[in-house]
Amino acid sequence: MIYGKALARRTFLRGIGTAVALPFLDAMTPAFAAVSAPITRVAFVYTANGVIMRDWTPAAQGAGFAFPRTLAAVEPFRDQLLVLSGLAHRNGEALGDGPGDHARAGASWLTGQHPYKTQGADIRNGMSVDQMLAREIGQSTALPSLELGLEDVRLVGGCDSGYSCAYSNTLSWISATTPLPYENNPRRVFERLFGDGDTTDPVARAKQARQNRSLLDFVLDDAHRLEPRLGAGDRRKLSDYLDSVREVERRIQIAESRSPVTASLQALERPEGIPPTFEEHVELMADLMKIAFQADLTRVITLMMSREGGNRTYPQIGVPDAHHGLSHHQNDPDRVARLQKIDQHHVAMFGKLLERLRDTEDEGGTLLDHSMVVYGSSLSDSNAHTHDNLPTLLAGGGAGALRGGRHVRYAKGTPMTNLFLTLFDRLGIERDEIGDSTGRVGGLG
Amino acid sequence: MAICVALLVGAALPSSAQQSEWTSAQLLRATVSRNCLACHDDRRKMAGLDLSALDYGDLASDAPTLEKVLLKVRAGEMPPAGRPPLDKGLAKRLVGQLAADLDALAARDPQPGAPALHRLNRAEYRNAVRDLLGLELDHARDLPADDSGYGFDNIGDVLTTSPLHIEKYVSAARRVSRLAVGSLAPKAVVEKISRQPGTLGESIDGLPPNLRGGMLFQHHFALAADYVLRVRIGGRRADGLPPPRLDLRVDGRRVRLFDANFSSLEADQETRYFETRVTLAPGSHEVATGFLTEYVRNEGLETASANAFVVDHVLVSGPFDASGPGESESRRRIFVCRPSPGDPERACARRILETLVRRAYRRPATRADIGPLMDLFRRGRADGVGFDAGIEMALSGILVSPSFLFRLEIPPAGVAQGETYRLADLDLATRLAFFLWSSLPDDELLAIAESGHLSEPDVMRHQIGRMLSAPGSRALVENFAGQWLHLRNVADWKPDPERFSAYDDSLAYAFERETELFFTDLIRNDRSVLDLIAGEHSFLNQRLAEFYGVDDVQGGFFRRVSLAGTERAGVLNHASVLMVTSYPTRTSPVLRGKWVLENLLGAPPPPPPPDVPTLADSAQRSPSSLREALEAHRADPACAACHAKLDPLGFALESFDAVGAYRSGEDGVPVETSGALPDGTVVDGPAGLRSVLLDRRDEFVETLAEKLLTYALGRGLKATDRPAVREIRRRVEAADYRFSALVEAIVDSVPFRMRRAPAR
Repeated sequence: MIYGKALARRTFLRGIGTAVALPFLDAMTPAFAAVSAPITRVAFVYTANGVIMRDWTPAAQGAGFAFPRTLAAVEPFRDQLLVLSGLAHRNGEALGDGPGDHARAGASWLTGQHPYKTQGADIRNGMSVDQMLAREIGQSTALPSLELGLEDVRLVGGCDSGYSCAYSNTLSWISATTPLPYENNPRRVFERLFGDGDTTDPVARAKQARQNRSLLDFVLDDAHRLEPRLGAGDRRKLSDYLDSVREVERRIQIAESRSPVTASLQALERPEGIPPTFEEHVELMADLMKIAFQADLTRVITLMMSREGGNRTYPQIGVPDAHHGLSHHQNDPDRVARLQKIDQHHVAMFGKLLERLRDTEDEGGTLLDHSMVVYGSSLSDSNAHTHDNLPTLLAGGGAGALRGGRHVRYAKGTPMTNLFLTLFDRLGIERDEIGDSTGRVGGLG
Repeated sequence: MAICVALLVGAALPSSAQQSEWTSAQLLRATVSRNCLACHDDRRKMAGLDLSALDYGDLASDAPTLEKVLLKVRAGEMPPAGRPPLDKGLAKRLVGQLAADLDALAARDPQPGAPALHRLNRAEYRNAVRDLLGLELDHARDLPADDSGYGFDNIGDVLTTSPLHIEKYVSAARRVSRLAVGSLAPKAVVEKISRQPGTLGESIDGLPPNLRGGMLFQHHFALAADYVLRVRIGGRRADGLPPPRLDLRVDGRRVRLFDANFSSLEADQETRYFETRVTLAPGSHEVATGFLTEYVRNEGLETASANAFVVDHVLVSGPFDASGPGESESRRRIFVCRPSPGDPERACARRILETLVRRAYRRPATRADIGPLMDLFRRGRADGVGFDAGIEMALSGILVSPSFLFRLEIPPAGVAQGETYRLADLDLATRLAFFLWSSLPDDELLAIAESGHLSEPDVMRHQIGRMLSAPGSRALVENFAGQWLHLRNVADWKPDPERFSAYDDSLAYAFERETELFFTDLIRNDRSVLDLIAGEHSFLNQRLAEFYGVDDVQGGFFRRVSLAGTERAGVLNHASVLMVTSYPTRTSPVLRGKWVLENLLGAPPPPPPPDVPTLADSAQRSPSSLREALEAHRADPACAACHAKLDPLGFALESFDAVGAYRSGEDGVPVETSGALPDGTVVDGPAGLRSVLLDRRDEFVETLAEKLLTYALGRGLKATDRPAVREIRRRVEAADYRFSALVEAIVDSVPFRMRRAPAR
């Protein structure tokens, strides 16, 4: 692990390892005073390889249901939590494409589209809902959205039959052909949010921003000169590059235009890197999500707690087996029991995020009051690769748009995209359809 | 045609004497009619394949289909079990003739394909910056991870560009330029470098052999200045022993020998730090530190429990009292001139930028390149302090330019859309450098390409030899072997700690090193690629040798060791490969069999059909019960089709457990390692598997060629590339299977040398 930080020699000689508060955090904090209505934040948290539904689904519907074992850790949030049953992603099914359910599950969760089966050539999925939201509610923040994950995608051979790893390495697609990579190193997330700390002087930072814009202008010109000399396919690839350059220009402009206002934020240390344990890793990511929302650096975040087909082991909770392998449990009671432990553990980690959101004040309430947080998997039974009755939680008050405390069961096969469309309604975003949506869902309060 | 086919169906084949005079079209027609159409006709189209309308007069139009047929027949997968088999001699002749016909067609009308616009991946970016500016630093570590396809992460189609990439490219470009020009504010920064896991208590490569518990790293020091090196010791000391002696070296020379008189008490953390101040020239330096052995290994003491201390990490802080940028390697490469009085500054800036652009963009700089960069130079010059600031700004521009970040292959003027053309030497040089070095061409390669001589066979062969023996070829080990053999998974692999308590970081490190060194040796010493499946040597240190049960290997250094007479030979018996083809809790003959088929024999089995019953977990506790369960599994015909091919290959490796340790049995029950393939071939144990692989060496070499060609081109292969793959195999065979012949044949192949001009 290598890290660097600016330090006076005096500090250095006194000893390393102590927390360094953010000297420039104040400058990054937005003008809360200028905001009248509460801002709604949206997050999507993914757990892969399905769950054991028997221990997930509450027996009773409506209010006052008993929390099953797997959901026990989020019971404290009952009043701001909906358990939604019956939602489905038909586009995750084979539809004639044969094996590859894990890749399709991950790829379709937020897109509602049927990913095109390819190892590489002509990758195509669909724009994901977090990116639609980023366009709608993310345009005034420094980052339109933030994509986070935990696993290292450098591993080889872990991707599903016939599908490029691009389909399982992210939930977020900025366009049908461009997946957005996630960041799994907390330190780098921190630096994206707060800068790399090389410069804290506002004059120097302004100069740096100005120079970065000159650089981007330069590359835009450069790319435009190249464009006519390329074939159609390569031109499309170059236009991804051009779009990305323009997007970053826009971000720099927003960062420059924000007026610095003092606010008291609980300072977070700059993380050293990836923590050694899964639990610390998730908690650190939850800290970063909380602070990003709190400082209004972004309003849309996705977090992949695990990847489809991922094979993390959990010896710390008595499950030394590889997750994906284990998820093909064949109803063997022993394997089912071990899988359930993983499910429960993931939900407990999700609870750590909810805890942070609940305990953070926001203008006129808490962050949790002003959030919509979707938690779930795009497979229900991983053993049989079923893409319906997907395990789904919806947490948060949505700034008054959601009322928790109930277990709602929808008709079998109700598209997950109907839920997304309804959330868009609640956010005041007009849209006629998303992916395979057929309408809205009720019961969100 | 239809009538003719109908007549042949069911008819007896003519005698072999008659057959031998048949053209391949006749042979094909007879075989298809007799053996294929029952399933692959226009009505049933099993597996989407319709062979009823093949045009026997013009095989070209059906070439992709026929390539598929050829592979299936050669692998013995078609006709499937339960159908009348093909006569072996006939199958062989059919495969041979068909291949010859398809090769002749390809020779008349080459189909080279066109790799997509290729964004540099992380490894390529890191190496390109290193080679452009002489900066030995991982600037790519902050870039987003690359997606992969076809088993590799350098596939143009999959290397997409998101806004996050641009953010990171801009900040990396700024940082790299600042470091390279040395225009950093001389502000003290501290960096922590931790010991690589797995080197505990052993001597490690590169450190003096008498040092233990140490670490070694390359570090970039941006300015000529003083730096403080602070070593932190972990572990504890035994009572009554003299303090250990801690050696600290820079570039191999001792800068300080400490009496490391630290206290193991929790409250005395501060006593674990040992620091010294050094004055260094700018650039990369090697820092090494460790304990002198005599104080660690005390006679008559249980050393492991008596003294167990290691260097935990090193903190590098500085620069202090900087005397300026100094003459670093980066500055030497950048500042090919200095503005002097009477010599306008801009002329020198232009020269500097032309030199950088040529190397960064892999072609001579044009006026159109330099104009906008001079604008950046002026802007930086005005904004900052002097000439250097202008160069730094323009260098940042070069590093985010699409001409640097993308590999662009633009057809020469006069080549029409869809037309096939031979790559110009400059494009060829870039392909070659990214293939062998995952980096930019160096000056020599560029100069030869500019002179137009690179395509000459002798020149090309010489360049390939030079490049393979240069340090840059370790990229082939890291990126090609690392992915082909799934080596990259070793470091993060987590075998069940209860079942495999002997497994630790030191072993993980040794597993990875062994295979890396084996592959490095293959490249550097131009050995036979058949060594990959049967080479009776390997590279071991003491820990790994003990794990393998090989005697007389002492110390932490890896050295070449003969494995003759042991169970192991070839990479398939390396613990690394055996481990990552297992589950964390147990071995899986199915996974291993699949791995062999996919990665060594090029015949990947189809994925299991949905709802297939998998094995009950209770059956997976011991190798013998596992075997029984798999046998029961194969009794189901739906499963047998694939498992009959997979399982025997995997069972042959059952004498190695899930972390690759040799076992003759488990819980007193001997491990069964024998099985029979569908064609009756008996595979018994690792040695039996090796002889099967050697018998099928054509398939192995073609598979290796396919993987390496995919990697070299950065695209997935198509049926139209099969003739090239066969040609590569023939050349490798003719050259005694030398690795260099494989590389040369790939570089000479149609898809590497040629390209189809894309539609506008």
